[in-house]
This record gives sequence, structure tokens and C-alpha cells, in this order.
Amino acid sequence: MFGFDINKRGTPQGEVKVPESLGIVVGIVFLIVAIIFQFFNFTEDSVWLVEYNAALASICFMILLGFVDDVLDVPWRVKLLLPSFATLPLLMAYAGHTTIVIPKPLVSYVGLEILDLGRIYKLYMALLAVFCTNSINIHAGLNGLEIGQTVVIAAAILIHNVMQIGASVDSEIRQAHAFSIYLTQPLMATSLAMLAFNWYPSAVFVGDTYTVFAGMTMAVVGILGHFSETLLIFFLPQVLNFLLSLPQLAGIVKCPRHRLPKFDPATGLLTGTKDGTLVNVYLRIFGRKSEKSLCIHLLVFQALACAFCFLLRHFLAGWYK
Amino acid sequence: MAARKRPSPTPISTKPDPSDQKSTRNTPDNNAFHLPPPKLGSIFVISTLLCSLHLYLLCSHYTVDAELKRPILINAALSLVGFFVTLKMIPVAARYVLRRNMFGFDINKRGTPQGEVKVPESLGIVVGVVFLVVAIIFQYFNFTEDSNWLVEYNAALASICFMILLGFVDDVLDVPWRVKLVLPSFATLPLLMAYAGHTTIVIPKPLVAYVGLEVLDLGRIYKLYMGLLAVFCTNSINIHAGLNGLEIGQTVVTAAAILIHNVMQIGSSTDPEYHQAHAFSIYLTQPLMATSLALLAFNWYPSSVFVGDTYTVFAGMTMAVVGILGHFSETLLIFFLPQVLNFLLSLPQLAGIVKCPRHRLPRFDPATGLLTGTKDGTLVNVYLRLFGPRSEKSLCIHLLAFQALACAFCFLLRHFLAGWYK
Repeated sequence: MFGFDINKRGTPQGEVKVPESLGIVVGIVFLIVAIIFQFFNFTEDSVWLVEYNAALASICFMILLGFVDDVLDVPWRVKLLLPSFATLPLLMAYAGHTTIVIPKPLVSYVGLEILDLGRIYKLYMALLAVFCTNSINIHAGLNGLEIGQTVVIAAAILIHNVMQIGASVDSEIRQAHAFSIYLTQPLMATSLAMLAFNWYPSAVFVGDTYTVFAGMTMAVVGILGHFSETLLIFFLPQVLNFLLSLPQLAGIVKCPRHRLPKFDPATGLLTGTKDGTLVNVYLRIFGRKSEKSLCIHLLVFQALACAFCFLLRHFLAGWYK
Repeated sequence: MAARKRPSPTPISTKPDPSDQKSTRNTPDNNAFHLPPPKLGSIFVISTLLCSLHLYLLCSHYTVDAELKRPILINAALSLVGFFVTLKMIPVAARYVLRRNMFGFDINKRGTPQGEVKVPESLGIVVGVVFLVVAIIFQYFNFTEDSNWLVEYNAALASICFMILLGFVDDVLDVPWRVKLVLPSFATLPLLMAYAGHTTIVIPKPLVAYVGLEVLDLGRIYKLYMGLLAVFCTNSINIHAGLNGLEIGQTVVTAAAILIHNVMQIGSSTDPEYHQAHAFSIYLTQPLMATSLALLAFNWYPSSVFVGDTYTVFAGMTMAVVGILGHFSETLLIFFLPQVLNFLLSLPQLAGIVKCPRHRLPRFDPATGLLTGTKDGTLVNVYLRLFGPRSEKSLCIHLLAFQALACAFCFLLRHFLAGWYK
């Protein structure tokens, strides 16, 4: 199970067989760490056990589907449908409120301060999970980009969690954010270990196994930690990438197998093609770049999006909620 | 790619015969791969034999509370859907699996044309995925959001899912056996964590005088026992294998016994916690039964697909899960009597005391089509040495009958010891 590094085609590095799907190692170690941690925190009849086990079941199912996809290369319709089932244990276990707080400036228009969305909120959670699961997968293709975006967002998640714990006195909010930390720290640690091999130039590839696992884990903590809107803003680059990709994903514009930029072996630089991805658009706006430099730029962009989210929350704190 | 042997040139004719060349040219068309049709007739017979008793007991023989009967029947309906989905998906998955060169040759047919066929491996992944989807969807028909059972149900799903993952990784990457032993222990941990039942055992009445207690609280040792039981069940099906249909066969026979036991306990008890425990077991065993039967339609003699470690560890874990969370693990162990026997017979070779070959299969004679027992320590070989050479299909049926007898023996034992035991 290996691939060739397309962004090095024409150089000796492009002939090397790079092992694929090493995300399976990350997934299994994550699960073991998460399972063992249960013994150190929860008593046998804690309410959190339901959500924790539902989270484990959802994430484990996702890792299984991701690995099956890496091995058997399932058709994309199946790839879209099956993760929806993976989110169901989560939705079932979610015992929180399904209300949203209307931003204060809009209260006069809506007429309500709090709106109970009920089942629509659960649908939103499911769509969020499917989105997160797939969005990392399509914002990929540069050495270290998949893990890089994950660890940057994970860092933002952890900072957000600790800030909320520090700034709040409500014990339920604290538990929710602690729950998120319990799953995000193992995600961060195992991902960093793989990044040690996957950073430019990649010695291993992560596979769909990793991207769907990472996406699902972050969706899980966002949903069960009750900060899914914040998570979405952390995912701004992924949202942008998804919107840019829509025409090709929908089939309106021709969609090639790989939508990677064009690599010039002579200069070692990547040039943006007409494909609708953030990678290509960035290259077309800011000119040609080496793969490593481009990846770093995109990760900085990811960090800026997260910082923007913190700023937004800070300023809208009085306005919003 | 099989090397084709060209026919040696005949000295008489000097001109190559075009028709000869055409007949020797044989390009296999991978796109036209078709799995032989499922053996639905056999499966219908087997299903009727296995499922009719517990359904009869549930619907006619016992008066079961409607509140309890409804989810069980809904679960049965969902399982039936799972059966058809699995049936439909196996030929599809077989194509994908072959494309990635995950296949094996049927060793028990070596020397016959059947022994040259590439049999797709690891089709247990279809069973596993459909089982999980059915089990996940069923949650919506039974539990409210804050039921206690949600913890155990989700822990069960997590454990079983982790096992399927490890099984499939093993099928793809062929992990070393030490890893195969250690990792499943982690898969049982969510289960142990979620187990909120008593850790006491009831001392059989004849022994009370010696022990001095009627009920003994084993505490953590009970949890250790549960962990070991899960690891045992997970691996024992894997080593009692090697004949077409044996792995799934032993699973569905044991599953039928589990279902009958569950329904009997529900019917003869008035404790609602007891009812819930056995209903819980039914909710996971019916989908196991249904999806397994669908795979058996293709795996029954002669096998068109192989089940892989993915299936055997999944089946073993699921049965361990229902036994533990349904609080009937001792009964389960007696259902597993053939597997225990096989394990004990295998111990010398597993421990390395006696030389252990890669496959411990019986010897196949292509001329007679019969299997002869070797000196390996497996139930399959010992049975052949005791009762003489047999065809593969006949041997498998015998072993499954033995499995059924072990289960029947367990019911008899419980019946007679009922006054004595508990």
C-alpha cells in the first residue's frame, strides 16, 4: 500500500514508494489512549460515560470506514453516505439543548431571544460531522498539509476550551470543555508523532484513514463540547476550500482525479491550475511557491482564521451572547 | 499471474495451426468476475432450523410483555433488512477485494480444479459494517436519550467496532500474533468500564457447605475474568476453523442457542432488570445471526468467499459482549464447549511445546475427495482420527451438530441443576 509523491514527479524523490494509510497507527493509538483514560476520570455511573462511549464508537467507526476506503477504494457515494451512520451514536447520545441564542442585534427582527431548533439542530450536527469528516480530505495534497491543518485547529480548540473553563463558573460548561480536551489532546499528540514523518519531505502518507479520523474527532468534540459554531469558524479555510470546490464536486465543471497544482521539476516550484481548491487559488493570487513554503503559508492562514475567530468572539461577546 | 504452459510442438506438422493458438490463448477478463450465486436454499433451511425456536418461544409459548416484545420484533425486522443488504453487498465487495489482491486458495481442494480458484478473502468486513449500521439505527427504536442502557450499548458498539477494525487491519497487514493477543484486551476495556452489574458469583448449593458463603464477591477478579473471556471468545473461533462454512456455522449455532436462552430467561422471570439484560443480548445477537447467515449463503460448502479474521474476531467479540452485559457468561462458556476443547487440544502447539505449522488443517486426498486427520491438536483433526476420513462438507456438518449438542447439553445441565445451582 504505497503511493508516489505527485508533487515531486520528475525528480528522484518522485520515484520513491511512499507508504500509505499510516493514519491507521494514529487511529489505533488514539483509541487505546482514549479507552485507557476512561479509567482515570469517570466513575461507573457518570452521565458522561454515555457521551464518551458514543464518541468512541463514532470515531472508531470512522477510522474503520477510512481504512476500508484506503484498502478497497470505495466509490465516493459510499464515502458520503456511510459517515452519516457514524454520526448517529453521537446524535443519540447528545443530551444537550437544541436551542440557539439569537445574536442580540437580531432579536428585534426574530422576536425571540432563544430559538429551539429541536430536530433541525440534530440535522445540523450530523451535517457538521459529515462536513468536517470530508473537508480535511479535500484540502490536501501538499506534504504535511493534512496533519498540519489538524494540529493548528486542535491547538485553537484546546485554547478555546481552557479559556472557557477559566472564564466560566458553570460546572456543566466546564465539564463540556474538559470533555473536549480529553479527546483533543490525544488527537494532537498522536498527530504530531505522525507529522514527524509526514512533514516535508513526506516519508509516509496519511491516507483517508487519517483525514476522516481527524475530521470526525474534531466534529465530535465540537458537538459534545457545545462549541460547534466556534469550530466552524476555526474551519474557515476548509469552508472556503469546500465552496471553491463545489462546482467541480457537483460535476458542473470537469473534475480530474487529482486537483493538485502543477509541479515544475526544473525550478522545484508549484504553479496554480484552474482547479477550484484553496491550494490552487492561493498560488494564482500570490504566485509560484515551493511545496514547503506553500504549506507553511496555508497553515499560517489556518492559524489566522483561528485567531480571527477568537477576536470575533471577543468583540461580539457583548453583542452576541 | 499464472504461467501458462505452451503445448510442446508436434514434430509432424510444420505449419502452426491457427485454431491451436486460439485455444491456448486464454486472457482472463477481470471485469467479468462474477461470484457464484448464493446457496439460498441451504440458507433457508439453516435459518429455519436456527431461528424458528426462539421466535416461537417469544411469540407463542411465553407471554412476554408487549413493551418488551415490540423492540425485539423491531430488531428482528431490522436484522432481516441487514440480511438482505449483506446478501446484496457481498458480491460487490468481493470484486473490490479481489482487485486489491486479497484472496486465498482453498487448501482443502488442492489438486482439484476448485483449488486453483482465487477465493476473495475478508468478506467479514461487509458483515461487520452492516451489523454496526443495524445496531446503530436500532438505538432510535428503543432507548430514550437518558437511559442507563445507552452506556452499555455504546460501550458494546465501541468494543465491537474496535474489534472489527483490528480484525480487518490484521487481514490486510497480517500483524504478528503477539499483537493479535494484546490489542483485543484493549478492545474489551470500554466493556469492563461500562459493566455496572454485580461482580458476585452464586456458589452452587452443594458447595456452600465447603465455601461457607452463598454469594462470593469477586470484585476486580470478576472483571479480569470478563476480560479474559472476551479475549478467549475472540480468538477461539479463529482457531476452530479451516473447513468451508465452519467459522460462520459455529457462530450461528451458538447465536441460536443464545437467543433461545435469552427468550427462555425473559419468559420465565419477572425481574425487569433481568428482562432488560437478556433483551439487550437479543438486540445484538439477532443482527449477528442475520448478517452471518447472509455471508454463509456464499461461504457454505463449496465456499465462494472466505470470511477472514475480520469475521471471526467480530463474531467472538459480539458473543462475549452479549454474554457479559447480559449476565450469562457462564452459560456462554458452556455453549463454547467445542471451542474450549479445541483450545485445550491446541495448547501444546500454541505454547510452542509441540511444533506448530502455519496451517493445522487435515490432509486432503484429491483422488477420494476425503479429509484425513493429521497429528495436529485441533478438534477437526481429532474428530477425523476418531471417526475416520470424511468429506469436507460432511465433517463440517458433523462438527456443527456437535456444537448444537454442546448447546443442548448446556440447557439440560441448567435444567437439572436449577434446583441445585441457583
